[in-house]
Amino acid sequence: MPKITFIKTDGTRVDIDAPTGLSVLEIAHRNNIDLEGACEGSLACSTCHVVVDPEWYEILPGAKEDEEDMLDLAFGLTHTSRLGCQIIVTEELDGLIVSLPPGTRNMMQDK
Amino acid sequence: MNDVAKQTDGRNQPTLPIYLDYQATTPTDPRVVAAMLPYFTEKFGNPHSTSHSHGREAAAAVEAARHQVARLIGADEREIVFTSGATESNNLAIKGALRFKGETRRRVVTYVTEHKCVLESARRLGEEGVEVVLLPVSPDGLVDLDLLARTLDERPTTLVSVMAANNEIGVVQPLAEIGALCRARGVLFHSDAAQAVGKVPIDVEAMKIDLLSISGHKIYGPKGIGALYLRRRPRVRLEPLFDGGAQERGIRSGTLAPPLCVALGEACAIAGAEMAAEAARLRQLRDRFYRGLTRAVPEVVLNGDPEHRLPGNLNIGFPGIDGQALLAELPELSLSLGSACTSAAVEPSYVLKALGLPDALANGSIRIGLGRFTSEADVDFAVDRLTSAVRRLRGAAPSA
Repeated sequence: MPKITFIKTDGTRVDIDAPTGLSVLEIAHRNNIDLEGACEGSLACSTCHVVVDPEWYEILPGAKEDEEDMLDLAFGLTHTSRLGCQIIVTEELDGLIVSLPPGTRNMMQDK
Repeated sequence: MNDVAKQTDGRNQPTLPIYLDYQATTPTDPRVVAAMLPYFTEKFGNPHSTSHSHGREAAAAVEAARHQVARLIGADEREIVFTSGATESNNLAIKGALRFKGETRRRVVTYVTEHKCVLESARRLGEEGVEVVLLPVSPDGLVDLDLLARTLDERPTTLVSVMAANNEIGVVQPLAEIGALCRARGVLFHSDAAQAVGKVPIDVEAMKIDLLSISGHKIYGPKGIGALYLRRRPRVRLEPLFDGGAQERGIRSGTLAPPLCVALGEACAIAGAEMAAEAARLRQLRDRFYRGLTRAVPEVVLNGDPEHRLPGNLNIGFPGIDGQALLAELPELSLSLGSACTSAAVEPSYVLKALGLPDALANGSIRIGLGRFTSEADVDFAVDRLTSAVRRLRGAAPSA
């Protein structure tokens, strides 16, 4: 089974078994990683924003326009930012490293 | 009878002084003024207030204007960000793109004849550790495509910035060729099109432009408004210059000015509808000006490529004559030596020097900008006065 690594905001690394076919968001939730995911993966928010390790970013399939629209609104966007709900684990992604950003922008709570 | 008609007894004479500095700014078209006025008074809402009809009315007007701006350059309205003008758009595009990239691919390539705000933005990035490459232009003012390709092949580059049309010599760059070079290498292409939009056709798709700066007051709109085109496919991202309420999709915080947005939209719509006819008319007037001048006085030098240039622009050198002295002889003509931004400085234009002009000729060159409200009578009058002044100054010069 592939493994992926989450780097938490305090810098600690967590290696987790990642069943193929699940999203990074789903894997985070199953393992009590603090990734928000307010819309539960329906591409209606940017709260599952993760920063992908630059080397892995190039390997991921590109973001669709709907995901880019949501990323426009993500807090602390970087040039390797993606939404966790849109990264689906495959055998090729064994070893994937993603970091949790320092904050999120949740329209339902911030206003 | 209006004032103009009184002064001239109804005859077709120019109103003095004659404005011949359309590259510095343009008068706001009365149709633009009419479109924007209601948004100061009865339709005054904040376009970001979505809870009442005042706000929604203003928001609808802003979005309609955004659509008008987008149409002029072949863009989608979601790709248009309103700004305070081309200086802000250029700062936002260049600094924003490089700063967003973080530590990777930190290189920007631009040209010595660019507007000050592009050069200064690049210089600022240089202080932040970005490699800045300033390329020369050919003696005709145009970009050397082979040199650009070689430069981009040296090292990965984040962004290339080339102005669409020069503000002093009016040369129009081969944007489609530059865009193709950049796209093939995965390099972002920004163009400062303040002088070109509305004057020559611009299509961000055909020209593969990723970022494009637009100014309101160069196209018969008011000062204080501009726009930045920001490509969505593939998505181009910027680090904003301002923090705030995340207006304009977070790219440019701050309450929009609906009267100014509406004005820019209207100016773009008029420019789009009338560009072909206006360009043909201005080209004719410009050629009439140049012909009249070259027939009357010997030794006239046209700076910049004669073909690839704005329809209403001439930049002319008079060997042996000092430009300041020439302007002093011409109180009836509103002309300038170089750009408005640098005309307070006494040193010769850096744009003309970049073409390889010696100081004496660069100092003896004037910029002539014709536009929407320039008449044939204006041109004939200006040629007559300019001719007499040049003859006077040359006659006065020792052994000229």
